[in-house]
Amino acid sequence: MRSIQRSLSLGLVAALVILSLLLLQTSLWLFEAGLRRTLATDLRDETEGLLIALVPGGDGVQLDAQRINPRYQRAFSGHYFRIDVADRTWRSRSLWDVDPAWPSSAGLSDGLIDGPQSQRLMAYRAEYQRDGEIIHISVAQDYTPVLDSFAQVRLGGFGLVLLFVLILVLLQRYAVKAALRPLEQARQQVAQLQQGQRQQLEVRAPVELQPLIEQINHLLSHTDNTLKRSRHALGNLGHALKTPLAVLGSLVQREELSAHPVLRRRLKEQLSQIQHRVSRELTRARLAGDVLPGAHFDCAAELPPLLDTLRMIHQRDIALRWTAPPACRLPWDREDMLELLGNLLDNACKWARSAVTLTIAEEADGYRLLIEDDGPGIEFAERARVLERGTRLDQHVDGQGLGLGIVRDILAAWHGELSLGTSALGGLSVHIRLPRSQPALG
Amino acid sequence: MRLLLVEDNVPLADELLASLSRQGYATDWLADGRDADYQGSSEPYDLIILDLGLPGKPGLEVLRDWRARGLATPVLILTARGSWAERIEGLKAGADDYLTKPFHPEELLLRIQGLLRRAHGLANQPLLQAGGLELDESRQLCRKQDQEIELTAGEFRLLRYFMLHPGQLLSKSQLAEHLYDGETERDSNVIEVHINRLRGKLGRELFETRRGQGYRFGGAA
Repeated sequence: MRSIQRSLSLGLVAALVILSLLLLQTSLWLFEAGLRRTLATDLRDETEGLLIALVPGGDGVQLDAQRINPRYQRAFSGHYFRIDVADRTWRSRSLWDVDPAWPSSAGLSDGLIDGPQSQRLMAYRAEYQRDGEIIHISVAQDYTPVLDSFAQVRLGGFGLVLLFVLILVLLQRYAVKAALRPLEQARQQVAQLQQGQRQQLEVRAPVELQPLIEQINHLLSHTDNTLKRSRHALGNLGHALKTPLAVLGSLVQREELSAHPVLRRRLKEQLSQIQHRVSRELTRARLAGDVLPGAHFDCAAELPPLLDTLRMIHQRDIALRWTAPPACRLPWDREDMLELLGNLLDNACKWARSAVTLTIAEEADGYRLLIEDDGPGIEFAERARVLERGTRLDQHVDGQGLGLGIVRDILAAWHGELSLGTSALGGLSVHIRLPRSQPALG
Repeated sequence: MRLLLVEDNVPLADELLASLSRQGYATDWLADGRDADYQGSSEPYDLIILDLGLPGKPGLEVLRDWRARGLATPVLILTARGSWAERIEGLKAGADDYLTKPFHPEELLLRIQGLLRRAHGLANQPLLQAGGLELDESRQLCRKQDQEIELTAGEFRLLRYFMLHPGQLLSKSQLAEHLYDGETERDSNVIEVHINRLRGKLGRELFETRRGQGYRFGGAA
């Protein structure tokens, strides 16, 4: 996965290293160029000193040893010369028996030349004219100490660059971390959103993130509002359809129709089919499915009122109990979950003798819901048929059944699974497995 | 038993009024939420049937306001809004029962019976029992010591009210308020006549007269 931290660090380190090395090398070059110029001046002065040491003697010019700097006398001292006048040549004693490749043109030599004892020499050649004679004077100086110190400076420079880069990378890590903290918070909040632990992202964020967070919040509330609006519209539609159906249902009971029992029966059949279809489709249309990332069902807040409602509707002495992990929040839409549990518990209450229990358990990859009653239960051979009937709407005429149709719709939207079994209480147990919805990111 | 029906759909209200009247309930009908808000708490109803989608004021708000004012009358919500979330809302607002449209007319009548009995602290039994009598509300028959006794509509309504209030002193005006809807002329002589007929059919000792105060049902109880 790409990380902003890593790409930033990589970019910074690369830029820093290249820039520092370039800077180091350039300054070394400039320094060396300056050094060479100074050295050239020094060497020219040396040639002039040597020129002065050339004095007229008996047979032509003589080199006056008194006027020569003593360092040209000490062997391999690092300072050397060679003087050519007409057919005579003087070489400094310091050269001993070595004859370096003196430059052939005037001025500073292009490169370094090899000297004695693996010295590297900077050479300078000058031409003078005195008394009609042309005098060539070449001097050389050992350049190795300068090279050595340059190498040392370069090494030190590398070390410094390394240290700087290290410090900068650490500083940058800290700075990036500080700058990205709101992003990390946003990431955590989005994760919480996914788990249904919050409905909106918090608005405290830096300017750069603000539009993103606002947009997400806007989208969330927009989806929420759209769902509410469509549920409200469906409620109105239901009202508009179901009230006339109630009137028809009552009209069919009229005395006048008692004389036509077949007609009454067929009317009733058709009416009940319409009723069933309308209820089922309207309920299905109300489902949120997994549209809302912030959706959640707070067990402790929602279950007691649901059980109270069931007690009110059934008006029988049924012990309704529920157990769930503490602070249990199921990451699904509240109304969908109420519809699922309401229908299943309603069924259980219809068949139960005296007790219905709901157990919610959290697992590694989702949740497990168990609805048990102590009613007659369903024979093993019958179970498949009951499940089947829930799915085949058109054949499912009577309103009683197990009401599993809508339950199946909800489970299909959530990728849940339903199975029937025998409960510990003696009746039917409905076992539901709900996989945790996969977070959209990460 | 005097009922208030709050329902804005006229055909359904007509049907319900006819069916309720056949069952011996005196029913007032209102279609507007604001009227219901006022009349529900000013008239002595025994039970209120409330639709939720009302013009003027939503049914749930009407119910909340009634409960906030301390109205204890049992309320049955009769609505097309059948989702569990909405049922829970209804219960939280203070409903005593919730029936979703469309419904079987008998289902509504059974729920009204059950709700009235619960409201009067009577156990949920198939027949209304009090003072040694059993009342079959669907057939409007009274049973005394395994003997079935036919009742007229007026007698049935009166006896049911007495049986839901056993041992309580009931004045004539109180009986009149609960047996007739708001539009019927109330004649206390009619009540007297019905009581005398009931005494003739079921036994004098069951209906005790307290002079200047009213009647008490339950005999020896």
